[in-house]
Amino acid sequence: MINDKESQKIVDIIQNFARKHSLWVLAYGTGCGAIEIPPTMTSRYDAERLGVRGAATPRQADVLLITGYLTTKTLKRVIRVYEQMQDPKYVIGFGSCTINGGMYFDSYNTIKALDRYLPVDVYINGCMPRPEAVLKGFAKLQELIQAGKADGSKKYKENLEWYRANQKEVIPVWRMPEFNW
Amino acid sequence: MEELKKNIVNKITGHFADAAVKAYDGNRVDFTVKKETIPAILFYLKDEMGYNHLSHISCVDWIEEKEFELIFILWSYTDHIKVFVHTRIDRENPVMDNIDMIWRQANTYEREIKEMYGIHFEGLEAPEEFLLEDWQDMPPMRRDFDTEAYARKTFWDRREARADAQDVRETITKRTGEELPDVAKKYTR
Repeated sequence: MINDKESQKIVDIIQNFARKHSLWVLAYGTGCGAIEIPPTMTSRYDAERLGVRGAATPRQADVLLITGYLTTKTLKRVIRVYEQMQDPKYVIGFGSCTINGGMYFDSYNTIKALDRYLPVDVYINGCMPRPEAVLKGFAKLQELIQAGKADGSKKYKENLEWYRANQKEVIPVWRMPEFNW
Repeated sequence: MEELKKNIVNKITGHFADAAVKAYDGNRVDFTVKKETIPAILFYLKDEMGYNHLSHISCVDWIEEKEFELIFILWSYTDHIKVFVHTRIDRENPVMDNIDMIWRQANTYEREIKEMYGIHFEGLEAPEEFLLEDWQDMPPMRRDFDTEAYARKTFWDRREARADAQDVRETITKRTGEELPDVAKKYTR
């Protein structure tokens, strides 16, 4: 019955509604932005009321937060982590460092634009973004999920060659398997 | 304190002919010595004077003088005095004696200096990489390494910031019609 288009739409709406209220964030911090996560999670801002919770391992998580600057060394780990996550998965770029390098614009080992290496669904600007901004970012992500527009992982699979070429540009010695999933 | 410091200066300059006092204030004494004397002076300070804590090994790039300066920072728990031992080595051929047999933690500092400045410590037990992975350029903390040019070459060109973020104060005053205070005017671009 759910093979026809009209029924699929209804199923999608229910599915997206369920997904947007259960965002499990991988407990993994890069750079300084991870310090804003504890106040977001604890009683004052209480992100759990939006369904945002921490997850211990990549395979259990839905959202990958890139909190701040990302060195090329960490990028390797982040790529492995992202590719191990199971669909549906979303990436949030957090802080100005992920957008254009921020204060590390002339650093020799931090990447300057995260969306060249991983598909980013939502960017949160600021240095640092306060917990209010973080919650706004999550609210925006929920909006996109409900509208079915948070399709970063689909984009990643379709344009894998482009992403891989960019990743290999900054990681000259590729010691990882070509596909991690 | 003063007597302790005088005692240190007398003992060191008496033992090592090339040791010269460089600075002498607070609870700190600085010596400059030749490169060859470093293991001997550190052994002496540790075993005879009780300076048994190596706080750090620091490195300075004196590019104009074509030299690297290495600074060994020692601390005594009984005297509460810091002793800095400075030495200069050639920049073109930077070779230094390894001292990790005196203090085990020196190994970490030396590996870092080796990667960041390219100074070769003779007989240093170290794997290939420490902090930098797959680094193929010149050591990045040297002053002739242009980080911005390297970043432009390696990474995607930097996006410009949003137009209204260029100067927040002016944008706000334009929007609200307020006069910018003189204090703020001094700092606007």
